[in-house]
Amino acid sequence: MLLEIENLTMQFGGLVAVNNVSLNIQEGEIHALIGPNGSGKTTIFNVVSGYYKPTGGVVRFRGKQISGLPAYRITALGLARTFQNLRLFRSMTVMENVLVSLGHHAKTRFWQHVLDPFSVRREEERLKEKALETLRVMRIEQYADEQATSLPYGLQRRVEIARALATEPTLVLLDEPAAGLNETETAELRDILLQIRASGITVFLVEHDMKLVMEISDVVSVLDYGKKIAEGSCSAVSCDPVVIEAYLGKEGE
Amino acid sequence: MTKTVILIQTIVGGLGIGSIYALVALGYSMVYRSMGLVNFAHGSIYMIGTYFGIIFYRGMVAGIHLPYWAAFIVGVLLTAILGVLLERLFRPLANLDLMLMLLGTIGVGIMLDNLAIIVWGAEGFAVRSPLPSKPILVGGVSLLPQMLLVIGVGTLLMVGLQTFLSRTKVGKAMRAAAQDREIASAMGIPVNFTNAITFAIGSGLASAAGILAAPIVYVNPSMSAAVGIKGFASAILGGLGSIPGAIVGGLSFGVIEAISAGFISSAYTKGIAFIIMVLVLMVKPSGIVGETTVEKV
Repeated sequence: MLLEIENLTMQFGGLVAVNNVSLNIQEGEIHALIGPNGSGKTTIFNVVSGYYKPTGGVVRFRGKQISGLPAYRITALGLARTFQNLRLFRSMTVMENVLVSLGHHAKTRFWQHVLDPFSVRREEERLKEKALETLRVMRIEQYADEQATSLPYGLQRRVEIARALATEPTLVLLDEPAAGLNETETAELRDILLQIRASGITVFLVEHDMKLVMEISDVVSVLDYGKKIAEGSCSAVSCDPVVIEAYLGKEGE
Repeated sequence: MTKTVILIQTIVGGLGIGSIYALVALGYSMVYRSMGLVNFAHGSIYMIGTYFGIIFYRGMVAGIHLPYWAAFIVGVLLTAILGVLLERLFRPLANLDLMLMLLGTIGVGIMLDNLAIIVWGAEGFAVRSPLPSKPILVGGVSLLPQMLLVIGVGTLLMVGLQTFLSRTKVGKAMRAAAQDREIASAMGIPVNFTNAITFAIGSGLASAAGILAAPIVYVNPSMSAAVGIKGFASAILGGLGSIPGAIVGGLSFGVIEAISAGFISSAYTKGIAFIIMVLVLMVKPSGIVGETTVEKV
């Protein structure tokens, strides 16, 4: 099991945002987490990626407990994420945005800039090549030298995913990657996500675009009021009366 | 002496003092942009940093007499370590409210000032320049060797800092962490570490400024307030949080001060410099080269 979330509870004062949720993610799958607004999806992401310390339960990544670790340590273990709203580094190019994530792969020490500038140059070239590879996966390599925040919205979202992939994760958490995309862009995103899975990276996805979710997900988990109310294949979940009730309300109401 | 010669001489003097302000301003701006913290103890760090170097130059510690350059390096390193310790102390404040943070840094500043008085006494001393005190004449303009040293080393440090931030991986990580600490940590950057480095560099630069200025000014514990406030004003003039802004702000502040002292009246120097600062901010509130918004998420 790649990621195990066990009896996770996250309480903010009197508000229970996530209530005793258990959830497992297998290696190699696209696992979608869906649910109405405010059902606790992003809170789960924030706990898993190390921004919140859970008030109950544990999270294990490749068998190692990660709940309670700081975010940068979790990233270094191979778990990357994107955020719901666009937050690229301003005043940096697309390439530089991705290079920031590659930073801890760099083997240079800063005194080498003075003592051995040639090895620094070689290392820079190696990292740039790596960054370019990631940009190619996201199909944005032609924008490498553009100011990241000057790109159209849909492409900026892809830079965000590229930045996460550059940390070389085994599991990537994507928080609403299709939000605000038009139909063409969403179709392209779908192909990219399938390509990411094919390259061996497991995807954990929060998404409101049900068409996209149903097309690509291997497993879907449904949250409502901080509780997991259903889990299974797309067809099983979409026919589940409990899920339909959570989304549409009870019949005859 | 012709008017132009006097003007050039005044401007060079202004650039010298301005380099000091710029180095101090860099500390304010670096810490502000990475932690959102205005560090009002920075002037005191400048003063302590000056002592940390000069006490070895003057043989005030166990009779150790170091040459000026060695005392400079020792002082800068010791002050950088002090910076790391202070970052640890201020870390809990950075996420609390502005008022607590302000009071915290002011408190630490007063503490450092009084520690200096206890250890080294309230009355100060003059420091002999390692260079000849006889001015060098270049085309009628007479230049003080120590002033040229200040400008030279100051420029070297500023260029070095800019290169460090834009070229090295730690520098890039610092820029990223300054923009968005949450995202930076999601990308694998240990933000507390980059903040500590920021504090270390800012404090080291302040110490460098102080040790360079020591042979020109008088060294005493109250120098923290005088240069602290001018360094802060320089950072704001250039655009608080901006690295080039701190440099431009510091140099302009020094030159304005020198010109108003030379051509108007030395009694109104400070007043004129601050009035110009206020006027610039009225026209461009973000400072001369500041970004329009320094977002803090």
